[in-house]
Amino acid sequence: MTGSTGLWVLAGTLVAGLVVGVLLHRRNGRIRTTTPEAPSGLPEPVVEALAPGTAVTLVQISTTFCAPCRHTRAVLSHLAKRTEGLTHVDLDVTDRPHVARDLGVLRTPTTLALTSSGRELLRVSGVPKAQELLTALEPHLVPRVERGSHSQGG
Amino acid sequence: MSAGPAVDPRGPRFAAVVTTVVLAVVLVTGWWPLLAAQTVVFAIGAFAGLRLAPYSVLYRVLVAPRLKPTSEREDAAPLRFAQAVGFVFALVGTIGYASGVTALGIVATAFALFAAFLNAAFDFCLGCEMYLLVRRFTPRTEQTS
Repeated sequence: MTGSTGLWVLAGTLVAGLVVGVLLHRRNGRIRTTTPEAPSGLPEPVVEALAPGTAVTLVQISTTFCAPCRHTRAVLSHLAKRTEGLTHVDLDVTDRPHVARDLGVLRTPTTLALTSSGRELLRVSGVPKAQELLTALEPHLVPRVERGSHSQGG
Repeated sequence: MSAGPAVDPRGPRFAAVVTTVVLAVVLVTGWWPLLAAQTVVFAIGAFAGLRLAPYSVLYRVLVAPRLKPTSEREDAAPLRFAQAVGFVFALVGTIGYASGVTALGIVATAFALFAAFLNAAFDFCLGCEMYLLVRRFTPRTEQTS
């Protein structure tokens, strides 16, 4: 009896694993546009990480226990280096999981693209594809020409 | 505590394949001593280090010499964390089977198999990426520093 039950559970687990694996694989690196949150809703370490001078900051949420985080760091820092108006910050939240909770991040690496005022443009789970990410961010990178022309309204 | 030196990423992948097969056999046969052995394997990887982990040793002795060497390296910390997660599930499963609560044994083994299979087939380390999710359900030990 145990044998046949176990066999069914084995089959079910493998099918579930296949489905989840394919879904995760598809979702990996996909860009999701998110509903913008109020800047006041951002956790403090994220606000501190925002580069005031640049149009877009990529905030990467990592943990010590995350294997693809290293790869993501390499991709993003390279992208930021060759793109004007773009900075990359790697935020290790291993010892402060509340930061991830406040952001609604369950999985690492997750990368958030934020404007200098803290508005969220998009987020990417898994290792981002550099070119796709750049294309999505391009419209937000352009207005760096008119820097300092606007006074900040409350 | 340092997690140890970085490793050839194909080693953990190999270990995941072996783990998948072992856990599948446990599910079909319900033979809990095998699950107990797998629990010990997880424990060594998680708490003693990857160098001593039985499947890593097997990889280095049997598989690695037949493959082209690679300069690619993977951090040990995520892998050891994942082994610790596997250890918990395998331990619960062993206790379930051995104490006659077979349903518990089956469910815990299925969870461990699910994670090992994702790692073997898709190179997706569930334990590593779900660290934050795990932390959400554990009481916070240290908050301020």
